[in-house]
Amino acid sequence: MPAKPVTVALVGNPNAGKSTLFNALSGLRQHVGNYPGVTVEMKKGSFTVGDTRFDLIDLPGTYSLAARSPDEMVAVDLLLGRRPEEPPPDVIVSIVDASNLDRHLYLTTQVMELGVPVVLAVNMIDVAAGQGVTIDAAKLAAETGLTVVPVQANKGTGLDKLREAVRAAATGGHAPTAPKLPDALEAEAKSVLAGLNGEVPAFLARRLLLDIGGSTEQWFTAKYGEAVRQRVTDARVRLAAAGCAVPAAEAKARYAYIRAVTAKAVTKPAERPKALTDRIDRVLTHRLWGTLAFFAVMFVMFWSIFSLAEPLMDLIEGGFKSVGKAVEDGMAPGPLRSLVVDGIIAGVGGVLVFLPQILILFAFIAVLEDCGYMARAAFLMDRLMSRCGMSGKSFIPLLSSVACAVPGVMATRVIENRRDRLATILVAPLMSCSARLPVYTLMIALFLPTERYSAFARAGVLFAMYLLGFVVAPLVALVLRKTLLRGERSLFVMELPAYKRPSVRNVLRRVYDAGWAFVRRAGTVILASMVLVWAALYFPYTDAEGQSYETRVAEHTEKGEKAEAAKVKAEWKRESYLGRVGRALEPAFAPLGWDWRIGVATLASFPAREVIVGTLGILYEVDDAEEDADSLTKAVRDDWDADPVRGKYAVPVALSVMVFFALCMQCASTLAVIRRETRSWAWPAFTFAYMTALAYVGALVTFQVGKLLIG
Amino acid sequence: MLIPLDMLKPGEHAHVVEVTGDAAWVGRLAEMGLREGCKLQVLQPGSPCLLKVADCRLCLRGCETTQILVQPVPA
Repeated sequence: MPAKPVTVALVGNPNAGKSTLFNALSGLRQHVGNYPGVTVEMKKGSFTVGDTRFDLIDLPGTYSLAARSPDEMVAVDLLLGRRPEEPPPDVIVSIVDASNLDRHLYLTTQVMELGVPVVLAVNMIDVAAGQGVTIDAAKLAAETGLTVVPVQANKGTGLDKLREAVRAAATGGHAPTAPKLPDALEAEAKSVLAGLNGEVPAFLARRLLLDIGGSTEQWFTAKYGEAVRQRVTDARVRLAAAGCAVPAAEAKARYAYIRAVTAKAVTKPAERPKALTDRIDRVLTHRLWGTLAFFAVMFVMFWSIFSLAEPLMDLIEGGFKSVGKAVEDGMAPGPLRSLVVDGIIAGVGGVLVFLPQILILFAFIAVLEDCGYMARAAFLMDRLMSRCGMSGKSFIPLLSSVACAVPGVMATRVIENRRDRLATILVAPLMSCSARLPVYTLMIALFLPTERYSAFARAGVLFAMYLLGFVVAPLVALVLRKTLLRGERSLFVMELPAYKRPSVRNVLRRVYDAGWAFVRRAGTVILASMVLVWAALYFPYTDAEGQSYETRVAEHTEKGEKAEAAKVKAEWKRESYLGRVGRALEPAFAPLGWDWRIGVATLASFPAREVIVGTLGILYEVDDAEEDADSLTKAVRDDWDADPVRGKYAVPVALSVMVFFALCMQCASTLAVIRRETRSWAWPAFTFAYMTALAYVGALVTFQVGKLLIG
Repeated sequence: MLIPLDMLKPGEHAHVVEVTGDAAWVGRLAEMGLREGCKLQVLQPGSPCLLKVADCRLCLRGCETTQILVQPVPA
């Protein structure tokens, strides 16, 4: 009979190599655990030693267990076994960076207070050795009372010993003796605990006393009332008077302990050789050279997204086209075929075409982050970002949003300041994401045909659309920080990790997760929207006399009256439910230069932007006979040429559609993720409202100015 | 001679003598290694500035909300 699974929690500072170790230990056996009410996600994996399964939980990287947000509180509660979703950990693995042992042991000294056996994984032992730092694992173990295992997670060195140490700790291990805090502090913590009738772990009572204004304090005040806050405030005043002020006393005591431990176990060279990281940083964080290097990196990234992805995209596009054709040949003509071919295959295919771009972008982001460059980019961008009311850390979310705003919004979790984070979340959807690309491409193909416009002009328009997001987003953030999100600028502190070679496994993992999320979205939201749009344009399928449009079209086709059949088809679309809505709203679309069909296609694209491509396909009913790839382009252009407004002002109309899509919030997934990350319906509602208004005004100005220019 | 951190010149070394201001931030800086008694070097001045604290590089902005007083020392 297999033994009961053992729960192992993995904790460590950011940049300690925690994810690398987690991936190395659990391989592909991992999934993400969500916790209600908070945005935090923890990766879970497992490994087996003998016949025992070890369930591994990867806690978010942190510098300490002093919880500053509900998310960090979840991590602390989880370690204390206070979350109903997870069993209390049997063993905690604390990972530290050997070359920064003093700093990283700070968190370990807190973990030692949890009353659970702790295994100390000293990572990057090779790097430290290269710098002349030697760590005596046996002495470190003797001094701290922990099991110490040197590892090199990225090479997989020492993992077997680590697994064995975890197994030993789970079966016969005991909780370590925690470093002693000053007596006065311990006494006050004890009396705080007594005041709570011993209902909570001693660890939490201590955190309540130590973390001024922290999440523990908020949690206790909410549960036990203001009296608790008053009691700890009084206790802190007494401690300050006794020369043991919070929070300095904690840091002093822990660092004193660490100093005593490392003095015996660690030998450092008197003068550290000038690290390679410092030499690289001399260039990469330099105001001029660093900025130039930054732009070069960005250029290479965007260039790769557009050029490397192209052959792959052509391949996918070709694949979908042949699938579409096969289905078309195999199905009887009719609305169902139109749904499957124009709606589903073209709609979902039109989205999946962007998968290579998403994968390349995420590969870049993962490599840049894993090697340590992202923190430098954030440092360089901070000057600019802080002027717009965001922080250097807002840069990565905004950059990710160029691929997709969903991971972009999720990436804002690293921003500590609540207002900075909200401002970043609210403007991230303004960045031109990959879903806008099909719209831009279609409109450019439609109205800037190669015969009349140079490749330069076409590329220029595309670039201008991306630029629009880059310019408008910071401006909106600035306005938000001056109005809705007004508040003090707070301190911004960020660690710049040492450069290292990116781990292939970490990068592949990130790329895989991002790609899978994207494919899932194409298969759900977009598919569902396409079916709904198709239905809204199909029903009611009878005219005023109760005659079915389908029969009428068939009758005309049979008689060879192509023009008559097309007329009936147009009437059908016009009289459909969505057509009626579109025509009712036509006065609102008119100032933008749109007819009801563009209006309807735009309305239909609110759940997901890409839907416009399929919708236009249905609306302009690309003739079944034509199997030309550019049939949609041709159909729309013919139609517009016949129209007095859109014929004359085709370019301003196309630009107005593009500007609208560039600025509008047409993405249900983004709204859902904003709701999840802000834990409120108000923020997604606000984002939706302001972006729609901005898009309308932007499109209006574009068309009206264009009209004036053409005269 | 005690001076605020932002008055240090690039490359200059100093001992941190006092960190005051919002308690939560003082605690947070201490966790990241920037605390009373530690030694630091200014790699790049300005806002944000780049500091080397112990063997870590920290990027810091908004020192105006948290006073960090230092004593310059020879390298």
